[in-house]
Amino acid sequence: MESNDAKTVPARFNVGDRVRVRDLPNLFYTRTQMYVRGVSGTIAARTYEDLIPEDEAWNRDEAPREQYYIVRFRQKDLWEDYPFDNDTLQTEFPDRWLEPVSG
Amino acid sequence: MPSRDELRQYYEIGGELAPAVHQHQDWPYEVPHPRYVAYMAPPHDVGGQADAPVRYEEKEEELWELNTYVTCEVLGWKGVWNSEERRRRGNNDLGLSLYYGLPYYGRWIWSAARMLVDKNHVSLTELLDKIAEVRSRYGKQ
Repeated sequence: MESNDAKTVPARFNVGDRVRVRDLPNLFYTRTQMYVRGVSGTIAARTYEDLIPEDEAWNRDEAPREQYYIVRFRQKDLWEDYPFDNDTLQTEFPDRWLEPVSG
Repeated sequence: MPSRDELRQYYEIGGELAPAVHQHQDWPYEVPHPRYVAYMAPPHDVGGQADAPVRYEEKEEELWELNTYVTCEVLGWKGVWNSEERRRRGNNDLGLSLYYGLPYYGRWIWSAARMLVDKNHVSLTELLDKIAEVRSRYGKQ
């Protein structure tokens, strides 16, 4: 699947940026969990550029690559009754699943 | 050929795997929104689901599981599919009941067979004949 002439969408986020996971509908396939939709977190790392799952799953191998990020959430932001304040959860998304959080 | 008793059992299991909606509905012309959202979630999105505790068990892979893994990866190296998202999408396409009902690598091999038929690398009739041949070679019904 590696292709040198594949386009890459410019990365929009850097480590430390606040981001919110977009609340897109579920239809057929995604790797983006329901429990993170609409929740804000912090970019913990920029990992690699690759096809997004929604394209790769239908062999759209020429689709543009996107930057992937590891986003860190507070467990309490994900699960209201989570008992420990300092615990976090990290999971990974391509650029298009994230939107900037201002302020 | 299955006995009539076995046949009845297969249909009964199928009925038991249908969604258990504990509300009266004539026919699901109207699906309540929360149920619709739950239906549309890909089956692999299990984080946050309630479940009973499971006993942790160290276990080696069975030979058929290793063979399945290698088959799926080789199909990827050959460029027939990608063995990550395309294979995983096939796993999810089983639907909730079968996704949760089959072993992990059972979902993989189902997806590989389905993809090979979808892409016309093998016809469904060829596949059925081959499975029947292998079954008779091993003396199974």
